[in-house]
Amino acid sequence: MLSNKRLHISNDAQDVPPALDAEEAARAAHERDKSITKHHFEPHEHPCVRIEHLMKTFDGDTQVLTDVNLTVWPGEVVCVLGPSGSGKSTMLRCINLLETPTAGHILIEDKEITGHLLQSEVNKLRQNLGMVFQSFNLFPHLTAKGNVMIGQTKVLKKSKEEAEAEALKQLDAVGLLDRADYKPAQLSGGQQQRVAIARAVAMHPDIILFDEPTSALDPELVRGVLDVMRKLAEHGGMTMIVVTHEMGFAREVADRVVFMEGGVVVEQGTPEQVFDHPQHKRTAEFLGSID
Amino acid sequence: MDKTNKRMGLRSLVAAFVLAIAFMCVLPGTAFGLTTGSTTAKPNEDGGTGVIGGLPTRLTWEATVDEGDSVQSLELVLPEGGSFDGSTTKITALKGLDRSKIEGEASPQGNKLNVKFSEPLNAGHLIRLEVTDMRFPPQGGSVVVGGTYVSGGETKQLQDAPPIETIANTFAQTIVSWLDHQPWVQAWNSNQFLGMFFKPQLIVTSLFALLPGWFVCLGIVIASYPFAVVLGLIFALMKVSRFKLLRAIAIVYINVLRGTPLFLQIYIVFFGLPMMNINIDNYILGIIVMAINSSAYLAEIFRAGIESIPAGQYEAASSLGMGHLQTMVNIILPQTIRRVIPTVTSDFITAFKDTSLLSSVGVMELMMFSKNLTSITGNMTPYVTAGIFYLIVTLPLIKVVTVIEKRMARSERGGGKRPKAKADAVKEEVADAI
Repeated sequence: MLSNKRLHISNDAQDVPPALDAEEAARAAHERDKSITKHHFEPHEHPCVRIEHLMKTFDGDTQVLTDVNLTVWPGEVVCVLGPSGSGKSTMLRCINLLETPTAGHILIEDKEITGHLLQSEVNKLRQNLGMVFQSFNLFPHLTAKGNVMIGQTKVLKKSKEEAEAEALKQLDAVGLLDRADYKPAQLSGGQQQRVAIARAVAMHPDIILFDEPTSALDPELVRGVLDVMRKLAEHGGMTMIVVTHEMGFAREVADRVVFMEGGVVVEQGTPEQVFDHPQHKRTAEFLGSID
Repeated sequence: MDKTNKRMGLRSLVAAFVLAIAFMCVLPGTAFGLTTGSTTAKPNEDGGTGVIGGLPTRLTWEATVDEGDSVQSLELVLPEGGSFDGSTTKITALKGLDRSKIEGEASPQGNKLNVKFSEPLNAGHLIRLEVTDMRFPPQGGSVVVGGTYVSGGETKQLQDAPPIETIANTFAQTIVSWLDHQPWVQAWNSNQFLGMFFKPQLIVTSLFALLPGWFVCLGIVIASYPFAVVLGLIFALMKVSRFKLLRAIAIVYINVLRGTPLFLQIYIVFFGLPMMNINIDNYILGIIVMAINSSAYLAEIFRAGIESIPAGQYEAASSLGMGHLQTMVNIILPQTIRRVIPTVTSDFITAFKDTSLLSSVGVMELMMFSKNLTSITGNMTPYVTAGIFYLIVTLPLIKVVTVIEKRMARSERGGGKRPKAKADAVKEEVADAI
């Protein structure tokens, strides 16, 4: 919990090939992805997240991620579906190094984050990766506004006035301007999660990771949160990786849907491809059980 | 040769003896012209034992005129700071058992009282002066009545009378002497239990007498606690540190201090340091020992507080790009401090009570004062009063702990004051629900 150790992932021992060259990888990923996403590719575009042969083992024997390969393009909204225990959340947490990958490569903007990395480099990386948690994880001792401000003042070193203006702007965007001075405990779950989104967005990251953002909410509070996320995807042009069980949201908002099971990506495609014409039996079974 | 030597020795011995007798006759003869018999003082009001400064007191002075002397007038010098109304002074001259016809007239002059007799009082007369409205100096202490007298036109010094002990006239003393006269107090004290543990007069005396000790207790705990908090925080952070050495140091420090009695620690420090020729003021040493002892307990409280913060808080801080130190300072410690306030207050109560152990090494704190007073009076009431003094501090703090705990429980459920109109929140909730 308080660990500040150097990350070291021994790829040699795990029989994982080295990460691909950026140009080569971009071309290959483009070739692979162009038919399975609604994303509009720019010429010579490079993926902003590249996951190659990602492997994660807990306590030395529980293998959660077996071999995950995924690329995410700038501005793309990727929804990750799958049964519980399939490794969706673990993959997401590996991307901002809340979990240390056991083997494999993760590259953000063509920069490898797996391997040797100093804590300061990890911190720098995380500024670029917003995260929204299932359990909100707002700071209970700060107001809604304070929650949105603290990253800006302490990490981005913005002035208090600047941070406050930004915080109010972001709280307004999630419809909670009038709750700016409330403590998290005084807000509903849905409101808390919207504050958490505002907190992530206020750091102006390139990518936001959503880890089951509506799973802890009462059903009637889910919509407000999804609306905020939809707005962010459609108007903000934000790159989003969303681990979710909200099929409706995935179908409506996602550029690409990824189905994971057993620590691998089983199937991915546009929402139409995955929901309407699933190629794998497991995908069909899973979608059938949800509906 | 031998004979003359012996005679010379004998002669000188006789001469010395005669000389001594002569001296004894001459010297006392002049000094004892008027022998002061007794000087007594008694409070004007009934009851009570001692003479209290500043309160109306009757001073009785007696003297006998010796053989071959006569007294025409005398002047009593009363202590500075006192006051008296000389005009009501009762003058009595007795010859044997008969009241003399000789009259006296008293007139005050500053702190002196002049008494003139209508004719000289000759040998054998007993003079009694009763100053009925005397007030001794309010600060109390030993008071000596001296003065001069005129005998045959010659002014002679009065022999000093034995001193009168007076009690300082404090506020407490006033109450005590008032209580002394109350029938209910007498009835109360006649009950053995009440008189032994709750004697009203002693409660009042103790309240005033123990006050300095109470302040010492408060002073020691208030001075030591900030150091204890800082030390405790340092050791708590060391104990959750990723460095094995820091963790080991913290564990040894905390466990040794928590695993041995404070009493023992006090003995080691108070007797050990002087043996090493390190001499530190007792109060400072008391503060140091209390600070070190409390810091171990506080370290454990802080550590438990830090570890009670959910992992999600670290993750949320990390995801914003905060480093370890930033996370600690901005996110973890502020929450920890809120959480541990009730426990820390409880520990403060314990530390305050534990200052009593310092009495064992001679620190003049509450316990020491009450012990002294109890051994003087042979009554348990000073201990009971000391208990009251401890409770004056601890009971409100116990209440504070309860209130804070309730408030924290409420705010965790989302209660507490809303910054804006509550109706808005309800509306929002409804809007969310639709």
